[in-house]
Amino acid sequence: MIDLADPGIYSNGIPQDVFADLRGRQGLHRNEGPDQFWSVTRHGDLIDVSRDTTTFSSEVGHIQIYDIDPDALDARASMIDLDPPIHTVLRRLVSSAFTPRHVQDYREAIRARVVDCLDRFEADGGGDWVHAVAAPVPIGVICDLMGVPEEDHEYMIELSDHLVAGTSSEPLSPDAYGNTTELRLLPFNSPAAHGISEYARKLGEERRARPTGDLMSKLIAAEVDGERLTDSQFTNFFRLMIFAGNETTRSAMAHLAVHVAEHPDQFDRVRTDPTLLETAAEEVIRYSSPILYFRRTVTADTELAGTPLAAGDKIVMWYAAANFDRSVFVDPLRFDVGRPKQPPNVAFGGGGAHFCLGASLARLELELLIEEIVARNLRFDLPSPPKFVDSNFVNGIEHLEVRLK
Amino acid sequence: MSESDATPNVGLKVDAEVCMGIGQCEMLEPEVFELDDLGIAQVHAGSVVSHARALELIDRCPSGAITIDEEAT
Ligand code: HEM
Ligand code: SF4
Repeated sequence: MIDLADPGIYSNGIPQDVFADLRGRQGLHRNEGPDQFWSVTRHGDLIDVSRDTTTFSSEVGHIQIYDIDPDALDARASMIDLDPPIHTVLRRLVSSAFTPRHVQDYREAIRARVVDCLDRFEADGGGDWVHAVAAPVPIGVICDLMGVPEEDHEYMIELSDHLVAGTSSEPLSPDAYGNTTELRLLPFNSPAAHGISEYARKLGEERRARPTGDLMSKLIAAEVDGERLTDSQFTNFFRLMIFAGNETTRSAMAHLAVHVAEHPDQFDRVRTDPTLLETAAEEVIRYSSPILYFRRTVTADTELAGTPLAAGDKIVMWYAAANFDRSVFVDPLRFDVGRPKQPPNVAFGGGGAHFCLGASLARLELELLIEEIVARNLRFDLPSPPKFVDSNFVNGIEHLEVRLK
Repeated sequence: MSESDATPNVGLKVDAEVCMGIGQCEMLEPEVFELDDLGIAQVHAGSVVSHARALELIDRCPSGAITIDEEAT
């Protein structure tokens, strides 16, 4: 019996054999570990769940495997753990900044960050790719959009690292970052979440006094039904944006470096044919599946893939399994920079209301990084295997030593 | 615009409640779709695409917000 909630099974990356076995079985798999839930592993089933927010709620229970108390859910609620209609109202406060057309406005600023990081990496002859490139680029980009000044970017990296890696690296003491809130009320039960909220309040106050046109200025002035956002709506919004825009893209960029080392021929293809940039970025995202899963909770008795489901059941959508579904992707374990864009992978979700807000931004970041790597004809050597983040939720890489050949 | 003359042209509509402003439609077919200030896709009045293209656009919207507008077809 395998417990999919056990972080140990992800310590070498995506457990391909386990997922292949589950995809091949009839119906949905019942996880019988300490946490009981249904696993969705096939592409088609995952899309069906994602697009039906009425039957499969993000607001009831929790979007992670373990349940949390209703007051804790309330305290941390942001668009990602709310259902329409409030979900939609919150999302629309910022959605226009993230459309494929709009993100093109950030292209040169993103490129400048990529160029700067790669210049230094090359000058050093290599180093920890995560620390040097994969972490600073996405945090820099999302901080620019939110309006976090450059000198605070390191602090944002530190805080958001603790949110996910907090379980593995040095544990924080409950009162770290001046935290006074009960840990169970904080996202990832981490005092670092308190640090992010405090920071959001401070920056919000500055932007209220002197708006600058960034997203924080927009959010602090925003109204929902004629009312300003509440303190927790505002701080949770900021925390979601910083976290969602950061850890995930970092993970895809870290996996990119592994592919550059392992499949130089694939990147030679991109260099000779730049029209492959877009599909190459998409393939890195599919293959890395930075978020392993999100959970939904069944709101009314129903059926999926022949399995009867009862109200209150937990449904876990394993993006990392559906992205290797061989009934959808030809030869799924092959890393192919020319893989057709259709049917789409589900690394950003299976569509529907919660489809990743930052998908176009993340794609652009990846494309620009790949473009710069191939333009410089960089060759990577990995002296040691990647060190994965100890988590059943993200497919992250903590350290990746890269030598330039 | 119409890619195939073999199929009749059709109009499209966007369900404003379902559209999440992902903007895929606007990128694929800027002549037809435009996101408004709220980030909701609007269809330019009178615009049509081939039936085949319509099916593709419907499929490519991650929210499933696009449908054929029978009245504009
Ligand atoms: C490769 C990078 C990324 C991956 C793999 C990723 C993945 C995801 C996934 C799987 C979801 C949930 C989808 C669902 O429930 O259907 C999501 C939601 C979200 N993502 Fe991303 N994401 C990435 C980058 C970003 C970036 C750069 C941002 C920056 C703004 C961002 C912001 C969000 C937000 C705000 C949500 C919640 C949307 C909602 O609930 O309506 N993400 N992302
Ligand atoms: S692709 Fe769909 S969700 Fe995205 S803007 Fe167009 S209609 Fe809206």
